[in-house]
Amino acid sequence: MHIRRKAKTENATTEKQETTSTRRRGASQWAVGWRRFKRNKAGLAGLFIVLFYVFIALTSQWLAPYPPRSFLSLVQGENGEPPSWKHPFGTSKAGLDIFSEVLHGARGDLYVGVGATIVTVIIGLAIGAIAGYLRGGSGDFILMITQVFYTIPLLPLILLFARVFMILVAQGFGLTLILLLLGFFGWPTISFVVRGEILRIRELDFVKASQALGASRWRVIFRHIVPNTLTPVIITATLLIAGNILTEVVISFLGFGDANTSTWGITIQEGITYMRTEWWTPVFPGLATLFAVLGFNLLGDGLSDALNPRLRD
Amino acid sequence: MANLTIYVVRRILFMIPVFLGVSILTFIISNAAGDPIALIRQGLRSVSPEVLEALRAYYHVNEPLYMRYLYWLWNLLHLDLGRSLSGSPVLTIIGPLIPTTLELQIPALILAVLIGVPIGIYSARHQYSKRDVSITTFALFGYSMPTFWLGLMMIIVFSLYLGWLPSGGAAGITRIWWGSEFADRIAHLIMPLSVLTYIQLATFVRLIRGNMLQTLREDYILAARSCGLKERTVVYKHALRNAITPIVTILGLGFGSSLAGAPGLETAFNWPGLGYQFVRATFSLDIPQIVGITVVITIMLMIANIVTDLFYGLIDPRVRLG
Repeated sequence: MHIRRKAKTENATTEKQETTSTRRRGASQWAVGWRRFKRNKAGLAGLFIVLFYVFIALTSQWLAPYPPRSFLSLVQGENGEPPSWKHPFGTSKAGLDIFSEVLHGARGDLYVGVGATIVTVIIGLAIGAIAGYLRGGSGDFILMITQVFYTIPLLPLILLFARVFMILVAQGFGLTLILLLLGFFGWPTISFVVRGEILRIRELDFVKASQALGASRWRVIFRHIVPNTLTPVIITATLLIAGNILTEVVISFLGFGDANTSTWGITIQEGITYMRTEWWTPVFPGLATLFAVLGFNLLGDGLSDALNPRLRD
Repeated sequence: MANLTIYVVRRILFMIPVFLGVSILTFIISNAAGDPIALIRQGLRSVSPEVLEALRAYYHVNEPLYMRYLYWLWNLLHLDLGRSLSGSPVLTIIGPLIPTTLELQIPALILAVLIGVPIGIYSARHQYSKRDVSITTFALFGYSMPTFWLGLMMIIVFSLYLGWLPSGGAAGITRIWWGSEFADRIAHLIMPLSVLTYIQLATFVRLIRGNMLQTLREDYILAARSCGLKERTVVYKHALRNAITPIVTILGLGFGSSLAGAPGLETAFNWPGLGYQFVRATFSLDIPQIVGITVVITIMLMIANIVTDLFYGLIDPRVRLG
């Protein structure tokens, strides 16, 4: 009963929107997408996982029994203990409570994953928009630069930058540094997507119309074209968050991250020396990574199924 | 054919600025960390001022950065990457690592394609069947996992608890596994190879499945089917050819980035490859080694890219090179 009423109101709103302005109808695109998304179980599961992680990241300081990077259990003589009621994920030889570290790690890794993606999206949108809209030499040049960024070995360069900047820049800036590095090196992914979309959109009639009305070039790019590329950008960005989290975990596992902040990678690294006797130290942060990345991947795939008009039957 | 030659030459010429850009960037960044000689001194107990002076002269520390770069470039033209801060020539350090990295990466790529492509096709043909769901889940886990972590898990299970396989390295040092030297290398290869294969396989399965699903909806597939062609012919001859083109790109990119090694995986397995060495060199800020490894990786990446593009032209007649 309740569902039917809801469906009715939805129908009513779409009808109303269709009779009013075109701007309103743009909003119903997202409503259609949400309706399609709701039917996708995997996508919904992804959304729940992501929301769960976001919740943990935001509340970790209250949820976790120990503060980040505190070796308290060592002082209490409880280091190197297997999982128990007091320490659900065990403690490391150095005295870290793994459960707390995993919770705090969610904050650190989500900060890097989401933050780096935001930086990437901003740069990628700007560069992709310009590359897609400008014809001739300058557009080609930007495309060439983008391809160069695709060609060069990125992970080694990021590691090198992280190592050197960690020395040059004061401590405590660590995770933000990794965030900026991932953000600055990641933009080609977005800008390729944006450029492709723009090449398609700029031939559409509404763009010609606004040009005919005398809109300036920048207004056409950023007011009319870029908003229309947002759907693929959102999809790519969600998947990119997953990739950025994975890269951050590798970076801090290799010891190039911030040693003063809890991340999943650094906890795993802490565990490998005593892996023979303490399997729990590397296992739990890795599982946390796995499910976080899984969540973002599922969400991204779900969004892509729901929002991609080309896949609609 | 002449067009092709021009194309290759143009690509190689285009490589030069990219190469210079990457090497200059690496050079500046790695030198920004501080005086390399001070770093050497950390390793030595007591150094006489004369030795320090000689070292400074050898590494041209007192000269401006661009002069140092030019010296380095000049040496590179003579196929000399200079000496590492540890003393040995960079080439003798890097040289043996390249085959070790490739020993891991190339079989992994080949296996991933050989297994991943048929699985992906199967999955696409039976979309939403139970097997398709389990294949997609299996792949999803593959690309959601840190490679090195899966490696660590396998080490814990198969090496530390069960004791079936060696826990790291490319060859036995204190103990030769499974009798002969060859079998020993195989024993060391099994775990890192299966981890890498699985992770890459996951990407291929996902890609092929997606492409295949799109291709199978095309009109020309419908046409082929309505002509009464066998399903086998339609899928493997008509659809696959279109669905596989993006794989070549991914393969090229994958091969390129695999040359950088998987630094995480190689570190987890103590695999003496380029990635592992790069991590160690970067950690100790060994500038000549850092620059040397980056340059080697970049060159190999570029060659891989050109080969990919040439191959692309071969399998996709719509792509005209030149």
